Parts: sequence; C-alpha cells; structure tokens
Amino acid sequence: MIAPSWIRLIQLISPLLPVGAYTYSQGLEWAVERGRVHDQSSACVWIKDCLEYGCALFDAVYIAHMIQAWKSNDTTQALKWNDDLLASRESVELRAETLQMGLSLRRLLLDLDCFPAQPLQQCEQCSFPLGWSYAAVQWNINADQAVMGYLWSWLENQVLAAVKLIPLGQTAGQSLLLKLGPLLPHLTAKAMDTPISRAANYMPALAIASCCHETQYTRLFRS
Amino acid sequence: MAMDRQHPDLTLASPQPPILDQRQDAGWDARIALGFTKSEKNTVLSRREHQGPLRVQKPLYPEANGICHTILLHPPGGIVAGDHLHIAIELETLSHALITTPGASKWYRSPGPLAVQQLTIHVREGGVLEWLPQESIVFDQAKVDIHNQITLAAHAVYFGWDLFCLGRRASGEGFTRGTLNFLTRIERDGKPLWMERALLQGGSRLLTSPAGLDEYSVHATFVAVSDKMDAELLARCRLIQPSEENTLHGLTLLPSVLIARYLGHSAQAARHWMTRIWQTLRPPLTGYAATIPRIWST
Repeated sequence: MIAPSWIRLIQLISPLLPVGAYTYSQGLEWAVERGRVHDQSSACVWIKDCLEYGCALFDAVYIAHMIQAWKSNDTTQALKWNDDLLASRESVELRAETLQMGLSLRRLLLDLDCFPAQPLQQCEQCSFPLGWSYAAVQWNINADQAVMGYLWSWLENQVLAAVKLIPLGQTAGQSLLLKLGPLLPHLTAKAMDTPISRAANYMPALAIASCCHETQYTRLFRS
Repeated sequence: MAMDRQHPDLTLASPQPPILDQRQDAGWDARIALGFTKSEKNTVLSRREHQGPLRVQKPLYPEANGICHTILLHPPGGIVAGDHLHIAIELETLSHALITTPGASKWYRSPGPLAVQQLTIHVREGGVLEWLPQESIVFDQAKVDIHNQITLAAHAVYFGWDLFCLGRRASGEGFTRGTLNFLTRIERDGKPLWMERALLQGGSRLLTSPAGLDEYSVHATFVAVSDKMDAELLARCRLIQPSEENTLHGLTLLPSVLIARYLGHSAQAARHWMTRIWQTLRPPLTGYAATIPRIWST
C-alpha cells in the first residue's frame, strides 16, 4: 500500500498551499527587465543555475539538517539553523519572502491543529524551510522526499514566474519542467550528503538582481 | 615551527610565481593578535603579538580625532600553498580603529595544499572597526580558504569589505582550476546577523552563469553594520555610480546591515565605488568624515 505520508507530501507541494509562493520571482523579474532572460532557453539557463548553485546547495541542505534536528527533538538546533538561514539571505526582499512564507505556513499549521506545533510557536522569525521541515517530520514524510518536494515547488514557482514575465506559453513552461525536473533526484541526494559547513549561498549576480528589483519601476512580483 | 624555515623569495616583481613542493607542512604559520583600547585622547594599539611574517607598522593618527590607523603587512608579498595566516583583532569599548594593507594580497597557485586566512574580529560596546584591506588576487590554480568571523557587541559599528580578482586578467589568465572558498559570519549579541559562504571552483559553471559571477573577474562585497542604519542612508548610497562601465552592482538593507555588491573587471573601480559608499556612511554612523588612507594612493 502507498504510505499515507505520500498524500501529505502532495498537499505540502501543491500550489494550493496558501503561502503566496506565486508572488515571488527571486530576481528573475529584473533579469527579464534587463534582457538577460528573454526566451525559453535563457529562462532554462537562469533557473537551472539558480537551482544547482542556489536552492539545492543552500535551502535544501538546511532543510535536510533541520529535519534531522526535529527528528532528534532538538528544537534549539533547528532554531539555530533557522537563524543562520535568515542571516544568509542576500537581500531584504529575499529575506522578507522566506519570512512571509514561513510565517504563513506556521499560522496555517497552528490553525489546522493537526499535530502539536509548540516548537514552531516558539519561533517568531520562522523561515519557510523551517516550517517545511517541521511539517515534513510531523507528517512522517521521508527526509529526501521532503527535500525533493521543496526543490520541486521552488522549480515550479520559478517556471510560473518565467511564463508570466517573458511571457512564455503553457507548453513552454511544461517543457521547462520536463527538462529540469529530472535534475532533482541527484540534487536531492547531494543535498542530503552535504554537511552544513558546505552549504553555499554565493551567487552575486542573483543577489544583485534581487537588490536591483527593489527599485525596479514596474513590478508584478514581490521579489 | 615555521619561523626558522627558509621561505621562498616572493618578490612583487617575480613574473612566474613559484610553486612549493608537495610537503603538506610547507608554508608559514603566521599569527598576529592586535588589541585596541580607548585612552583619554586616542585609540591606542595596546596589544601586538606576532609569530611568523605578519606585522603592523607603527600606528598612525592622520585624522587628528584619535582614530588609530594601522597598516597590516605580510612581508613575503604573497601567500603560497600551506600558508596559514591568523589575524585576531580586538577592539575594547569605545575604541575606533581603521586597518588596511599596503597592497594587494597575492594568492599563488598551489600544487595541492590550501592557503588559509583566518580573521577573527571582536568589537566591544560602542567600538568602531573599519577593516578595509586592498584586493586579493587569486592566481589560477590557487587553493584558498578564507574565514572571517566578526563578533560585535551592542552599538558596535563595523565596516568591512572583501575584494577578489580571479586570475590575472591583464595577462590573459583566468581562473580555470583551483578553489576559492570564503565564509564571512557576523554575529551580534550571540545571534548571526549576516553570513555569506562561497565555494568557487576554478572553471566551474558558477563563474560564467548569468546568476553567478557572470564572467566577471572582479567581485566584491562591502558590509556596514550599525544599529543606526536606515533607508535614507541606503537611498544616498544608491546614488553612487561606479566609474567602470558595464558592471553589475546593487545595494540592499537588511536589519542593521547594509550590503553593497559589485561585479566588474576593475579592482580599482570596485574599490573606488565601495570607498564612496564608506565615505557616505561614515559621518552619520560614527560622527567622523572619511579621509582616504594615504597608502591607497602610493
């Protein structure tokens, strides 16, 4: 039989999760404005690089470690990773994004009242990876599936932003997911094996894109 | 200990940087510990301990306001495989120091072992530290590990930058192999305030990616920490334009931290841009106008 945790994972990944992920482009909006991303293939390059050198090398590694901490009932350690993750956000918009999504997820999990959420309640500055890792542990989702699920929702969201901004057709969007999706198992396995001291967040052009987005004249997205 | 070992002669003019043999222990273990204390009139360099080839010149007071300017020297002129440089700086309550270097740090190519620089900074309550070294030139095939740990007490102010040139572009050298790893961690009141960790592999996709280094050879980050930082200061700093064309640069304001990032091809233009941001922030955050250290123009 399929484990019930599967259905929880699907619920967590679903774009219906009311955390407002679709309102963020993470610098992609400025890359489009500047012309660096202008069609399907340049979008593919941008998203692939951000996935491989950003999200999978940093957030994914932190989620894997946060899951470990929650599983050992080590709330102090989980909150320490949360502080490090927040201090590592490259710009005020990227920081606001993870805080808004994290706090929305925290509120949702408290309102649903489906599992004890006291440890989350302690955390007033809850990043999205912290909330995600907590829900995954409470719902008995395997750590690697939770990490891959996070990468998939990130990827889906970036593709959605590209479709709106460039713009691209729905088929082009699906074609991007078809092409980039198969990278996720390998990136997940790598993230699971990476010590926290090797999590890296240095993508200066992405950080600068996010900084420039703060003063971009017309904007659809909040990051 | 490394002090009595013969060190290869690395003069600034040497066209071909030497490569050490593959002994793991080849290289210097150099340490320097500096302590600054506020006296009635000045900040004094009250503690200076060193081992191996790291030195400071006699403190200077070019500003007539008691701020202690210190020039940190590494006489071998370059850092080779196996070198370990430890720099520890402590500023006591209300002291104010500016530390810079007389020239670029050159990180030579390595046959294997890492070259390591560990910087530890403590600034006590109300202290101000300006850590403004000149650029680091990372030669092709260098293996570099840089670790900056900055601990601030309440109301401390910190200005710092890291400016890297990957390869020697003027002589057609890129960064095709080797590694540049660096970590900067700033803590205040026991909590991380800002962190950045880079793992750069020579020749990797990250160096050419439009979201990574985008083929730029010079990358720099300026950090300013103060509890008086605000959006108005950010807006003023945003008006400063680089003197080099076709750069990527941007500023952002995180809680108590202003970050300015630069990607270009000119280390001089990067430093100039960051210097002007520092000059804009220094008066409102410390009460003193910024004067450019004379050593930068020699």
